[in-house]
Amino acid sequence: MTNNTDMEHHSEISHNRYNVLIEFAHIHLEFQRPELESVLSLHDIAIGRDCIEVPLPSSIPTVENYRPFLILSFDYHYAKEKFNLDDDGYVIQSDMSRFSKIDRTKPTIASVLSRCTLIRSAIELWGAGPSFDSCVEHARQLSSGCAGRITLENCMKLSSSWKITIHTLGTKFNREEQNDMRMKFAFFNLPGKVQMVNPTNEFLLIREVELDPKGTPLSQERDNFLSPPLAVYYGRVLGGIRDWRGNGRLDQFSLKKRSYLGPTSMDAELSLIMTNLGLVRNGSFCFDPFVGTGSILLTCGLRGGYCVGTDIDIRVLRGRSDEENVLSNFKQFRLNRPDLIRSDNALYHRHYRMNKPIYDVIVTDPPYGIRAGARKSGTKEEKIRAIPEDRRHDHIAQTKVYPVSDVMGDLLDVSARTLVMGGRLVYIIPSMRDFDVEKDLPNHECLEIAHVCYQPLQTELGRRVVVMKKVKEYDPSLRESYLSSVWINGPESAEKCANIRERLLEAAKLKPGYEEKAAYRKKRRQITREEKKKQRAKHV
Amino acid sequence: MRLLTHNYMQSTVKGTERGYPLKIEATKIEFEASPFDAEFIQALLPKIDYTTLLFALKQISENGNADLAQTIIPELPESIKEDGEGEVDEALLKKLHTVMFDIHVVEGELVCPDTGRRFNIKMGIPNMILHADEL
Repeated sequence: MTNNTDMEHHSEISHNRYNVLIEFAHIHLEFQRPELESVLSLHDIAIGRDCIEVPLPSSIPTVENYRPFLILSFDYHYAKEKFNLDDDGYVIQSDMSRFSKIDRTKPTIASVLSRCTLIRSAIELWGAGPSFDSCVEHARQLSSGCAGRITLENCMKLSSSWKITIHTLGTKFNREEQNDMRMKFAFFNLPGKVQMVNPTNEFLLIREVELDPKGTPLSQERDNFLSPPLAVYYGRVLGGIRDWRGNGRLDQFSLKKRSYLGPTSMDAELSLIMTNLGLVRNGSFCFDPFVGTGSILLTCGLRGGYCVGTDIDIRVLRGRSDEENVLSNFKQFRLNRPDLIRSDNALYHRHYRMNKPIYDVIVTDPPYGIRAGARKSGTKEEKIRAIPEDRRHDHIAQTKVYPVSDVMGDLLDVSARTLVMGGRLVYIIPSMRDFDVEKDLPNHECLEIAHVCYQPLQTELGRRVVVMKKVKEYDPSLRESYLSSVWINGPESAEKCANIRERLLEAAKLKPGYEEKAAYRKKRRQITREEKKKQRAKHV
Repeated sequence: MRLLTHNYMQSTVKGTERGYPLKIEATKIEFEASPFDAEFIQALLPKIDYTTLLFALKQISENGNADLAQTIIPELPESIKEDGEGEVDEALLKKLHTVMFDIHVVEGELVCPDTGRRFNIKMGIPNMILHADEL
């Protein structure tokens, strides 16, 4: 690499601006930017308008693999007005209110960004470059920029103890080598002493290398020669903690700890991301029309939303017992109870008055027939029998199969009608690889797609989280027209997610060992049935 | 079931156009305080039907636990007065919050004002599913 190219990269990260380097976890790749954009918008910050994204320095002209880093650059005066740049106390507590409260009065950057489930850490960027030396050089020029100078001055004032942590993404360096690296930044002459445990300031020196699609560093050593890094960064850790995703932060909400779970309970991480994508905050009016065991609704509650959930299945709403139901999950996290109603989303307009839009967010995992088939009111029988009067009031009405194309059509139509303007619908749709995002997603004239994020589950199957925004007022007289234009490609698109169960089964049958597995599962089911019979016989 | 949720529920058993608002016959109500946010309640007011809220409140006060009703349930004025800037007095907002959010009908029935069809409420969950012959 010639010096000229180095300088080009440098000059884009200006010390006249306040720069932040974000490091993402290496999962849910497609969700990272949408989640970040959503969380920033909660504070009325837009990338492109209030800050810019600066390209990462790179020692290789084109990097094919994903890089879990992002640099946001703020105008210094904007940053000073908007954020509390001085205070960097420990924001990553296990206090749950942190998940919900949006601090509008000069929050720290860490408290804004730490709301993103997928961000590992953020640093105030003091130097960056495509090589170690260029990073050091860039850092030397920190005080030559107006923002850099103030940043350095402030740090000097506040720093009573500090340390430099080296993050080498898998490459091993011995102690001597590490100290050499640290010494290169000694020119800053920071006051105070080096302290390994809980220093006032922690500095991070990151040696970025290229990662493979799974997040593992590509082989670094070839013929005993260590490949050069992709980029090197140096800066001050924000939020007081190097790794925001550690410390059992997510663990509190982990499925394992909840009292009531079902086969389709959404994993905690995805729920947290979905509620960020939906912009759920304190006082958001949240609705889940297919609430099931309430795992997504629980996350809305954790973020301070007022929660309403409906489902056609009374058993799942009432749960297994007084200690194991949707309400007990909320109680477990000391949240106010949600409102649950047994109703049919296919008949939403009949159960609920819709003269005024009320929901801020509708967030749900609709039933697709993979693990929980969808039902709607009505019976598949030809002759409709009236229920005798004395049995009426507690009769569990029959339900019939609810085709996926209708599930989605109704979901979009109900959302378009009941969301406030700008309100968001966030839903999950399973898709095979051959899904055409442009043409196969359901549409509605009143809703616009904001994000589509893909999560691969198996080689053939993944799921997409779709985020839609209400952009147009709903006209009830156009209901039929809205519903008939949900699928651009017609029923074929709906079929793609509707028949996933059959297609999965077909694909599984072709795999080796299928016969054995099926026989094994059948045997286990038989054993369980016999056990249950014995249990029941005992109790008689 | 909160009174806020009741505010937009209706019955549309085949043949009725006037299934709103549902009458509440509560046999068990519970009170659970929740955090008050003035701004949130203020923003919620245009979305609700105040007459229905008063109606629901009256129903709750009449049946259900009489003791609970007297000690906790506040009285609400006939209509909501806004000041020059369209804002409502905070004391009133607090009462509205209590009525809409903190009263839960745990057991009882909702009754269609037109057909008399009864929908039961168990464990706080109303069962609104219509039978095949009511669709």
